[in-house]
Amino acid sequence: MKLVYNAYLGPKGGFVNGERKCVVDFSVKQHLKSVYEALKLDYPKFHKMDVLSKLLILTEEMTQDFKPTDVGLDDNLSLIMANHSSSALTDQRFIESYTVQQNPSPSLFVYTLPNIALGELSIRRKWFGENSFFICEQFDAEFFIRQCRHAFLLGNRYTLCAWIEADVRGNEECFLFLVTDSDEEKLEELLIHILNTYRNE
Amino acid sequence: MDIFVSGYGVISAIGNNVHETLQSLLDERSGIKKGTQPHTQRFMVGEVPFSNEELSATFNLKTPGSRTTLLGMVAAKEAFHGHDFFSEVRTGLISGTSVGGMDVSEQEYRRFLVDGVCDLNRFSHHSSGTSTEEIAKELGHFEFVNTISTACSSAANAIMMGARMIRKGTLDRVIVGGTDSLTSFTISGFRSLMIFDEEWCRPFDASRKGLNLGEGAGYLVLESEHSLRKTHKKPLAKLTGWSNASDAFHQTASSPEGHGAVLSMSKALKVSGLTADKIDYINAHGTATPNNDLTESVAFKTVFETKVPPFSSTKAYTGHTLAACGGIEAVISILSINESVLFPNLNHTDCIAETGLLPIKRCRQNSDVTHVMSNSFGFGGNNSTLVFSKI
Amino acid sequence: MSELKEKLKAQIIEQLNLDYLTVAEINDDAPLFGEEGLGLDSIDALEFIVLLDNHYGIKIDDPAGAREVFHSVNSLAAFIESKAQ
Repeated sequence: MKLVYNAYLGPKGGFVNGERKCVVDFSVKQHLKSVYEALKLDYPKFHKMDVLSKLLILTEEMTQDFKPTDVGLDDNLSLIMANHSSSALTDQRFIESYTVQQNPSPSLFVYTLPNIALGELSIRRKWFGENSFFICEQFDAEFFIRQCRHAFLLGNRYTLCAWIEADVRGNEECFLFLVTDSDEEKLEELLIHILNTYRNE
Repeated sequence: MDIFVSGYGVISAIGNNVHETLQSLLDERSGIKKGTQPHTQRFMVGEVPFSNEELSATFNLKTPGSRTTLLGMVAAKEAFHGHDFFSEVRTGLISGTSVGGMDVSEQEYRRFLVDGVCDLNRFSHHSSGTSTEEIAKELGHFEFVNTISTACSSAANAIMMGARMIRKGTLDRVIVGGTDSLTSFTISGFRSLMIFDEEWCRPFDASRKGLNLGEGAGYLVLESEHSLRKTHKKPLAKLTGWSNASDAFHQTASSPEGHGAVLSMSKALKVSGLTADKIDYINAHGTATPNNDLTESVAFKTVFETKVPPFSSTKAYTGHTLAACGGIEAVISILSINESVLFPNLNHTDCIAETGLLPIKRCRQNSDVTHVMSNSFGFGGNNSTLVFSKI
Repeated sequence: MSELKEKLKAQIIEQLNLDYLTVAEINDDAPLFGEEGLGLDSIDALEFIVLLDNHYGIKIDDPAGAREVFHSVNSLAAFIESKAQ
C-alpha cells in the first residue's frame, strides 16, 4: 500500500505532506470561513454546510495539486471516513431548534448524520464509488488500513480516508490521506507518526 | 468463498422475533398505528410495544442501555441463540445506528429544562459507538466490535463489511445488522423536511406523501464454511451479493435517474455472479417519500429493463426503521426465500404514473424464491444493495 | 425598503444557518438558489417558508409555486412589501 498524499486541518493550521498551506486561529468563531477565504475557494454551498462537511471540503481542497488525475474515474475510488463524536455538534443545534426555539430546522436536520460530509464531497467531485462512515473510539490506523485492503480487493484503485472530528468541547480536526494499492510499505506506523506531528506541530 | 447466514433475529412493530414477524407478514398485518408515548402519540408510527423497562424484563437483558441498545440486544440475542464462543472462531459484532442513545439524552434534557436537574451519567449512553459496545457486552466477548453510521444504509453496510472481513480472513463469524429507536429528534426532523405522512404511508403509490417512522433492530450471523464446520450451525441462506455506491447528487434527495441506486444494484448483481433475470424478488427501500419511490422505480427499470422482478416495500408494515431497516429487511428477505413467499406492498392503490410499476399487492405463498435483492438507501447518497440466495 | 433588505439578509443568514456569512456578502439581486447563487435548494426553501411566517406573518401554502418569490433578496423584499399593503 502506498500513501499518495496526506493533509491536515486543525488548531496548528492547514498542511499538505507536512508543508503548511494556511494559518488558522481556531479560537475565532469563523475560523473555517477564514480558511475558505485563504484558499480562495469559490463554492457558495460551503456556507450552509455543517462543521464536519466544512472541515472535509477545506482539507480536500488543499490537496488539489497533489491529486493524481485518474482519482475517481470509473468509480475507482472508495471513501472511508470515521470519527468519535458522530454529528454531535449539529445534533445539539437541531435539538435546540425544536425544543428551545420550537421550530425544528430542516436545514440543520439534514446534517445530523456524519456521513453527509461524505455526500457533500462526493457531490462536489462527482464521485460515485462506495463510501462508508464509522464511529471509533479514536483514530485507529490499523482499522483504516484494513478497510483500504478490503476496498483494493474489490478492484478499487484508490481509497480516500479521513478522520473528521468536531466534538462538543470545541476540538476540531480533519486528517485526510489518499492511499493506493501497491506492494510497498506498511503504513500504520507512518500514519500515526504523521498525525501526531500535525497535532503537536 | 461462500458467506453463510447461520442466525437471524429481529424486533419491530410487527413482531418481537422472527416467528412473530413472519406471522404478521403472512397475515398482512401492519404494525403502524398512532403512537403511545408522549413524543409519538400524535403520529402514525411503527412502535415496539414495550417500554424500556419491559424490554429488559421480558427479554432478560442484563446490561442497561438506551432504547436503541435494548432493541439491538433483543434482536442480536435472537440471532446468536444457540451459538457459542470458541477460541478458534474469531467473532465480531458490527452494528449500524443513526439514533444511538438519543432517546435517553432527550429524556434527561427534557427533565433538565423542566426541573433544572438531570442525571449526567445517563448521557454516557448517548454515543452511537456506546450502543454497539453495550450490545457486545450483553452477548459475550468479541475480537472485533465496530459501529457504522451511514443513515438508512447503516445495517446493510454492516452486513457488507462483515462479509468482507470473513472473505479477507480477518474474522470467521460476525453478527451484523442495525438498530434504531423512535425519538423526538427524528420525528421533528422528518416532519420539518415535509416527507412525513400523518396517515398510514403508501409506498410506491401515486398519492404517497411521505414516510411513517418505525423502530426496531435486525441482525444476522454470518459465517464462512470453515467456521460452520466448527460451530455446527445449520445455514439459513447465503449472502451472495453486496455493494455500496454514492449518488453524489444531494444531501437527502436522490438523483432523478436514481444513479446511485442503479450502481449499487448493478454492482451487487456482479458480486453475486447472477444475471438480472435470476432475481425473484426485490425488497425495496420504498420509504413512501415522493422522491425515493420514484427514483428507485426509475432505477429498477434501468437495471432490469422490461423485466422488473416482483417487488415490494415492507415499510408499510414496520415503518421506516432508519439505520435498522437493512437488518430487518435482510431477515424478511431470508424469510421470503425459506418460506417461499413474496410479501406484499401494503396500502397500495395506484401505480406511479411516470413508471407504471406495480408492486406485489397480496401475499403470494408457494412462490419459487431463490434469489432476493434488498435495497437500503441512506441520506448523503449512500446507496447499498444486498443479495441473498437459497442454500 | 433597503432597511427591510438588510434585515432580511440577517434573517436569512440566521434561519438557514449560513454560519459567518455577513449581510455585506449577500447581493440584493444575486440568485439565492442553484449553482450560480448561494447554492440553496428545496430544503432551504422550507426554511424560507418558516422565516416568512415567523417574522412577517405571511403563510405560503404552495412551496413550489413560491420559488420566484425566493429568487433573490430583491424579490423577497418586494413580496413582503406587497403583502404589507
